[in-house]
Amino acid sequence: MDQMSKTILLVEDNPDDAKLTLRAFKRNNMLNPIVVARDGVEALDFLFARGAYAERAGKPPPTLIILDLKLPKLDGLGVLKAVRGDERTRLIPVVILTSSKEEQDLVQGYSLGANSYVRKPVDFAEFQEAVKVLGIYWLMTNQPPPGRHTA
Amino acid sequence: MKIRSKERLVTGMGLAAIGIIAAMVWWTYSEVENANRQRRVTSEIARGLTELRLVTFEYRLYHNERARVQWDAVSDRVDRHIANVRFAQPAQMEILAGLRKKQAAGRRLFAELTAARGGDREDAPLDDASRRFEAQLLSQLLTYQQENFTDAYRLNNLATERIIDAQRRVMIVILAGLALIASSIVGASWFLRRDVLAPIARLQQATRQVAAGNLEFILGIRGDDEIGELSEHFDAMTQSLRKSFAQIERSNQDLAELNEELKAFSYSVSHDLRGPLRSMDGFSLVLLEDYGDKLDDEGKDALERIRAASQRMGYIIDDLLRLSQVTRAELNLTRVDLSAIAREIADALDREPSGRSVEWAIESGLSVWADPALIRIAMQNLLQNAWKFTGKTARPVIRVGALERDAKTVYFVADNGVGFDMAHADNLFGAFQRLHHVDDFPGTGIGLAIVQRIIRRHDGKIWAEAKEGEGATFFFSVKESENGSDEQDHPAG
Repeated sequence: MDQMSKTILLVEDNPDDAKLTLRAFKRNNMLNPIVVARDGVEALDFLFARGAYAERAGKPPPTLIILDLKLPKLDGLGVLKAVRGDERTRLIPVVILTSSKEEQDLVQGYSLGANSYVRKPVDFAEFQEAVKVLGIYWLMTNQPPPGRHTA
Repeated sequence: MKIRSKERLVTGMGLAAIGIIAAMVWWTYSEVENANRQRRVTSEIARGLTELRLVTFEYRLYHNERARVQWDAVSDRVDRHIANVRFAQPAQMEILAGLRKKQAAGRRLFAELTAARGGDREDAPLDDASRRFEAQLLSQLLTYQQENFTDAYRLNNLATERIIDAQRRVMIVILAGLALIASSIVGASWFLRRDVLAPIARLQQATRQVAAGNLEFILGIRGDDEIGELSEHFDAMTQSLRKSFAQIERSNQDLAELNEELKAFSYSVSHDLRGPLRSMDGFSLVLLEDYGDKLDDEGKDALERIRAASQRMGYIIDDLLRLSQVTRAELNLTRVDLSAIAREIADALDREPSGRSVEWAIESGLSVWADPALIRIAMQNLLQNAWKFTGKTARPVIRVGALERDAKTVYFVADNGVGFDMAHADNLFGAFQRLHHVDDFPGTGIGLAIVQRIIRRHDGKIWAEAKEGEGATFFFSVKESENGSDEQDHPAG
C-alpha cells in the first residue's frame, strides 16, 4: 500500500489551523490525501459514508484521524465516542490535536480511547515539528490494524 | 416563679421544719427535766408524809419527847420540800395550796396535842376527857396526813402525766416535721422533674438536633424561670444560626456559580485565545519562509517581532491559566518531603543546557504539611526565580532551609543574585508585577503570584527580604496540621 492511499481525516473547525496543519504536512513531505471535516457531524458523515459523503460507501476508511476537541455541532470527544463505538471505525488510530491542556480533556480523551494527545503550540516552528513527529510515527513507523478494505 | 426562688422556698421549708423539731426537742427536754424534778420532790414529800405518819403513830403510842422532836424534824423537811416545789398548772397549784394548808393545820394540831400533854411526864396517865380530846386531835391529824399523802401522790401523778404529755407532744411535732420534710423533698423532686429535668432533657434533645444540623428545630419552652429564658435564647440562637447558614449557603452557591463561570472562562481562554495567536505566528512564519526573498531586513524583523509577541502572549495565557488552576485545584494535604522536591528541581535545572553551574545548599529533612502537587509548583517557581536571578552572579549560591521564628517553622529559599530594592517589595507578589526588565531577566511576572496563591491556600504567609545586588530571600510558612507529626503514620484520606 503506497502513501497516497493512506487517507488522513483532519477534523478542525478553525480554517487557519487547518491550513497551517496542511502546510506542516506538506513541508514535512507527507503527501497523503487529507480530508478536512469542519465539525463533528461532518467527520462522522465522512467516516460512515453519510450525507455529503454518501458516495464514499465501500471505500477504505482513513488511516489516521486527527481530531480537535472544540468543534461545532458535535465536539471532539463525541466524535471519538462514536468512532470507538462503531465496529467499522473502532480500530482507527485517533490523535487528539488541540489547544486545551486542561486535565479533564486529557483524562476524558484517553479514557474514550484516544491513541495520542498533542497540544498545539503557539510557536509554528514547534507545531511543524510536532506534526512531523506525529506523521512519521502514525503513518510510517506504526503498523496499522488489519482493515477490511486495506488488504 | 424562678427556679432560684423555688429552691429557696423548699430549702427554707426544710430548715424551718428542722428548726421546729429542734425547738420542740429542746422544749421537751426542759419540760421532762422540770417534770422529773417535780416528781422527785413530790416523791420526797410523799415519803416525808409516810414517815410523819409513822412518827405520829409512835407518838400516839409512847408520847415521848424523842417522837415529838422527830415529828418536828420530819415535818420541817416536808415543809421545806413543799416550799421548794414549783408548779405552773392551776390544778397542781391548787393541790399544792391545799397540801400546804393542811400541812400547816396538821402542825397546829400536833402543837395542840403536845401542849395538851404539857410538861407532864411522858407516861403520866390522862384523864378520859383528855384522852378523848387527844384521840380526836390525833384522828383529825391522821386524816390530814392521809389527805396530804393522797395529794402528794396526785402531784406526783400529774408530773408523770406531764412527762408523758410532753413526750406525746414531741412525738407529734417530730412526726409532723418529718412529714413536712418528706413533703418538701417530694415536692422538690416533683418540681425538679417537671420544671428542670424535663426541660433539660428537651434542651438536650434540641442541642443534639441542632448539632446534627436540624436548624428547623424549635424548642418552644415558655415560662418566666431560668429555663424558659434559656429556651428562648436557644431558639433565638437557632434562628440566627439558620439565617447565617442560609446566607452561607447562598454565598456558597454564588461561589460555586462563580467557580463554574471561571472554569468555563479559563476553558474558553485555553481554547479560543490561543487560536488567533497560532495563526499570527504561523502565517508570519509562512511569510518568512515563502516570501522571505521579497522582504528587506526591516520587514523580516517586523515579522519576527510579531512572532515573538504572539509566543509571549501564549506564555502569558498559559501562566494565567496556571494561576487559575492553582486557585481552583482541590487540596490534598499530606506530609511532603520538601528537601527531596527541592533537590529534584535543582537537578532538573542543573541538567538544562545553559552551561551554568550553581552551588546548591539544600537542608535535608525538611518536611511540610501540604498538597504535594501545589507545593512542587511553588518550589519550582521559587527555585527557578533564584536560578534566573543569579544568572549574572559570579559564584551563584542558592540555599533552601528552615528556621524557627515565633515558635513557627519558616522555610526559605535564598540566593545571592541581583536582589531588588525593598521599596518595591509590595508589588512583588502581584500578577504581572515585575521588578526587572524583560530584556535582563525574561518572564511573565506570574510566578510569584502563583507561589503566593499556593501558600495562601495552605493558610500560610510568604514574604521576601532582599538587597539590591546582594540577593533575595523568600520566606514562607504554612499552617501546621493539628496533630503535629502524627499524620505521617496515618495519612489523611
